[in-house]
Amino acid sequence: MNRKINQMKSERIGDTYYQIEHPTGLKIFVYPKENSHSTYAVFGTKYGSIDNRFQRSDEDTIQEVPEGIAHFLEHKLFESEDGDAFARYAKTGASANAYTSFDMTCYLFSCTEHVYESLEILLDFVQSPYFTEQTVQKEQGIIGQEIRMYDDDPNWRVMFNLLDALYYNHPVKIDIAGTVESIAKITPDYLYECYHTFYNLNNMVLCVAGNIDVKKVCELADRMLKPSSPIVVNRVFQDEPDTIVKKRVEQKLSVSVPLFQFGFKETVSEQRKTLEELVGTELLLDILASDSSPLYRRLLDAGLINESSFGVEYFEGPGYASVIFAGESKDPDTVAKEICKEIAEIRSKGIDPAAFERAKKSMYGRNVASLNSAENIANSLVSLTFANRELFQYLDAIANATMGQVEQALQNQLREECSALSVVNPIQEESNE
Amino acid sequence: MTEIKQRAICDGINFRSIRDTRFKTVRMSIHFMLPLEKDQVAANALLPFLMCRASKEYPDFTKLSQRLAELYGASLSGEVQKLGDVQVMSISMVSLADRYTLYQENLSKELTELLCSVVFDPPFDSEGHFSKEDFLQEQRQTLETIDAEFNDKRTYAKQRCEQVMCEEERYGIRRYGSREAVAALCREELTEAWKHLIHNAKIEIMVLGDCNPQSVYDGFVQAFSKIDRKKPEICETEIIKTAKEVREVSETMSVAQSKLVMGFRAGAELNTPEETAARLMVAIFGGTPHSKLFLNVREKLSLCYYCAARFNSVKDLLFVESGVETQNLESAKKEILAQLDEIRKGNLEDEEIQSAKLSLCNSYRTIGDYLGGMESWYLTQTFRPRVQTPEEAAEEINQVTKEQIIEAANRVTLDTVYQLIGNEGNAQ
Repeated sequence: MNRKINQMKSERIGDTYYQIEHPTGLKIFVYPKENSHSTYAVFGTKYGSIDNRFQRSDEDTIQEVPEGIAHFLEHKLFESEDGDAFARYAKTGASANAYTSFDMTCYLFSCTEHVYESLEILLDFVQSPYFTEQTVQKEQGIIGQEIRMYDDDPNWRVMFNLLDALYYNHPVKIDIAGTVESIAKITPDYLYECYHTFYNLNNMVLCVAGNIDVKKVCELADRMLKPSSPIVVNRVFQDEPDTIVKKRVEQKLSVSVPLFQFGFKETVSEQRKTLEELVGTELLLDILASDSSPLYRRLLDAGLINESSFGVEYFEGPGYASVIFAGESKDPDTVAKEICKEIAEIRSKGIDPAAFERAKKSMYGRNVASLNSAENIANSLVSLTFANRELFQYLDAIANATMGQVEQALQNQLREECSALSVVNPIQEESNE
Repeated sequence: MTEIKQRAICDGINFRSIRDTRFKTVRMSIHFMLPLEKDQVAANALLPFLMCRASKEYPDFTKLSQRLAELYGASLSGEVQKLGDVQVMSISMVSLADRYTLYQENLSKELTELLCSVVFDPPFDSEGHFSKEDFLQEQRQTLETIDAEFNDKRTYAKQRCEQVMCEEERYGIRRYGSREAVAALCREELTEAWKHLIHNAKIEIMVLGDCNPQSVYDGFVQAFSKIDRKKPEICETEIIKTAKEVREVSETMSVAQSKLVMGFRAGAELNTPEETAARLMVAIFGGTPHSKLFLNVREKLSLCYYCAARFNSVKDLLFVESGVETQNLESAKKEILAQLDEIRKGNLEDEEIQSAKLSLCNSYRTIGDYLGGMESWYLTQTFRPRVQTPEEAAEEINQVTKEQIIEAANRVTLDTVYQLIGNEGNAQ
């Protein structure tokens, strides 16, 4: 078959991977690691929990479907008419799994033997949907239990409560699995409709890393991939105001330590952030709140945070972007105040050049280190590709980062008027033993 | 697989290294082992965290953190775990390999010195103790860690089951000690505990990844030569082979989903083919997505969202953990025991055995691709009469027969059933 193989080499690291534009429309990445025992493969679609409203390039109308279908499909695809995928993997020894996030669904396995048989299983079952009234009904029960398990998870609740306070309309505020009510509306027809829209190979990526041969992957792909029509799926979001819904939200759960998430909502454009913008923000957050920052130290000394839980992340995806601080604290409101105070302080004093250099080296080191793991590599390649980014360019962007990028981030982001605090507090009458 | 090199620094101190340029990092760690003792455990548990807070050269938390950031985000971290009846205090240093630095820096030399310095030469104050601020900081954080264990109900339920089951064994002691014991600590005790740790603990040092271990070895030999080591403490684990009677404990909480944890005595003679058979039996029972528990209790009967069995090979215990709707607690318990009975009666297909073998061997052979995985593997090996590689363990698994699996299941006895009962009171 006629296929184009691009070699991607990082001069800096010395690693190489291959990018294949398969004629079926599928993008394939193969990242061989010499002497690796194991192989890790991910087959992913650019389809997550936020994709409830969409328009196909071959249709005139916008479709709207119940919440939770992406995750429901993830569960159901493992089943086929003649048994489930786990039973097939049982014969190769591969350890298989899948996950659904806000903007993608991924099927994966890791194995040390029977690599190409396992890869064949992966490519086959993801391309073979099979749903009936009966199997859908049964899954509603299992996913219902999963949703209830997450209802008890304080880390999960504190995050979705925050997203609910930050966003009016964006579907990122909806639980990835949907709700017990929304999944009750799911039918085989909905599943087939979403499957045939989003599991189009033009909307998907395959990444294999570790002990793997690029030629063999291509041969297998030629044999296994089913041609799909060249459609594009557009995500259609309702307008999202720049402002937040509410400043503070609180829930009581069976916990002994209060948990918080403190988020700063940002205005986003159609385009995802550039690598330079992304790196600028990540460096800023490191300078602001890493364990070597003055803020971290002040909060520790005041007994307001602990090292095992406090952290900050840039939560950025299609149509949404927020900076989120999270942790356990006896007094989350004071933590939020201190964070705002520190941001104002850095704005007035400027960024310490020594802190910038440290943050850059630290971020570079952590990202190079993550290339130890075939699992990290494959998962990063998928998520970067769906965001139109590239792995080695990202590493270069860190190495070449400038103070100007961080100053830019500081100017545009972390606006106090767009911040909200979510707290999970203990139920009063209950105590730890 | 790349070979592991082992040598002794002196009585009770092993040095193990694997040099492997596949990795872009170096991982060096020192592990102190002491028998779990009720009145010592809290002080010991605080030590690795306290030791990682500051060094002579960087006597302040922020200065040390800044230095580590400059060294390409190297991490220096403490950890406490239980391996059987032994408390293991670890300090690990992970950093980028020298050849990946942006400006050709020599990180490994500085990191070795830093690791030796925090371990052997803590920045004691004028009174000869860890600084008061650092002590109070770690004490508070450990108390918060203990409290936070309650937040995650799955982990909490497992811990409670272990605690109830092993109440009269050392293993029943929590790894950080009780909340009261941590709260009652004073910093003078910490100095004594540190001395005891350095002089009396059984010690494992590991250097893994892209680094020449010789200089690390030399560094530690030199550091230990200045210490008057005592005879290392004996780190043994008491094994109870059979449960006497079934203990049942329930707690009620305001959560939506109940948790069921069943603790069994596995009854296998450790370090013999019986142990290998027990590992395989547990995988068939509930270790994979094609295990009896997953296929029947979760998939066929929809009784639990998760239902898995795990074998603790140091303590010879077997735990089944599950997340259950409250009204299904009884039927789940019955079905879990029924599935164990199936194995006891020999109702298992060759396919089930074969797939469990493949699955276990797959996980053993993957260990060598992860530095952290190799570290945990070889740390557990230190309690064995002979150190095994993961590949050797995989070979042994492949030798197990159906009869041995059935015998392994028949040796298992139920000891403790712990239920965390959700009363649906999901307050907003």
